[in-house]
Amino acid sequence: MDIAALSGEIFGFIPLGDIMLYITPFSLFMFAGALIFTFLIAISKTETQVEAEFGSLEDNRISIDLKEFKIRRFLAIICGLATSGAMITGDLFNFTLFVTLIGILNIGIVSAVKIIDVLDSAFQYGLIAMISSMPLFSGAALILGATGTLSILNLAQIQPNPMVYFGSALILIGLLGESGVAPFYATKAEMFRTPGSPFILIIHLSSLLIITRAIEILLIINTF
Amino acid sequence: MIAATFVPEYTASIFLPALYVGLITGFIALFGISIQKNDLDVLILTDIIGLSMLVIVSAVGTDLAEALILPGLVVELAEIMAISELLLTREMRKLEKDGPLLPNTFKLDMEILNTAPNFIAIILVLYGVFLTGFTGGAIAGAGILFYAISKKSKGLNINIFDGIAGISGIAWTLWIIGFLTFFIVPQYWLLSLLLAAFGILIKVALKMGLIGIMNREEIKKE
Repeated sequence: MDIAALSGEIFGFIPLGDIMLYITPFSLFMFAGALIFTFLIAISKTETQVEAEFGSLEDNRISIDLKEFKIRRFLAIICGLATSGAMITGDLFNFTLFVTLIGILNIGIVSAVKIIDVLDSAFQYGLIAMISSMPLFSGAALILGATGTLSILNLAQIQPNPMVYFGSALILIGLLGESGVAPFYATKAEMFRTPGSPFILIIHLSSLLIITRAIEILLIINTF
Repeated sequence: MIAATFVPEYTASIFLPALYVGLITGFIALFGISIQKNDLDVLILTDIIGLSMLVIVSAVGTDLAEALILPGLVVELAEIMAISELLLTREMRKLEKDGPLLPNTFKLDMEILNTAPNFIAIILVLYGVFLTGFTGGAIAGAGILFYAISKKSKGLNINIFDGIAGISGIAWTLWIIGFLTFFIVPQYWLLSLLLAAFGILIKVALKMGLIGIMNREEIKKE
């Protein structure tokens, strides 16, 4: 599909060797949004979870110590940067790499907690993320094999063949697993029970933005 | 298929078989995961899926696909390391103790443990020097690391590596000089190439050696 028809008029190109970044209102908005959210996360403090204790009037406060806070903030910032990178990239394989990077960082953000249930679900999510990196990369490789290019600008001008459809289907499966949406949501739901709210939010935001961007890319590749 | 114009006929002809091999490998691994109950076994089986991904990526066979294998491999390694750390944390949390995460030194009295490590380390270092460059540095470093680990596992002290670490800075300078020469006086490209290659060889080898020393000190601390 013509890129301008889907994501708006192209403002300009950033040529980086083989990789040609293109800037549309769509990608620019999401890139800036991810960066702004990352900045907000970098300057914010964590929440403290307060649970009412059963059978008494006391409260149970769960707060995280400074070391854990620093690790988690660092990983959350990297995750935000990876998300913004995935928003602006013009190369299919770079996009899949950013997606897997976000998957690893999502595991890392919750890995420092001390709640066994959360660690358990993070382990399950990690397995799913690792398994789904196979269809993700394979799909990108199949599209490369079928068309000879990975640049989204070039792919937009190539008539898709069945191999491209198959590769796109694989990429879609990989994305669903890696960002933990619909069929794989059960693995990720428990992860959000960790204390330390603003850093957990980046997990939500990255999945949301990644899925939006992936739909754009898949539409560009598969329609002519 | 367009790929036939970029790669030799033979590579293009094995594209589909390789694709099927990759997919079948993935399905076998998924089947294995579905019947396993032990977490550690599942983690190990997941690595097979990563291998099937590498098979499919390398089936394409162009230069670009070759460049894609490396990030794929790195991502796989990073994921398996992250998940195994997670597994370790969880098991430690379940046991509610903070024991040493690294395996303890074991004592085995075997002749082959005295002689073989030196020989293998020498072969690795020599081969690394012969290769030069980044790959050679990695191999030579693996040799040094292997030597350090095998000495350590027998409980012996190794002091020789502490001084070598200082050479790292000189190697770095060599590399930078080589790089600068390449841009300022391109006619001496051979000299700068050799400078850069040997600089990075020493640099990478020492880095790998340093990892061994740090590893050893971690064990000593506990």
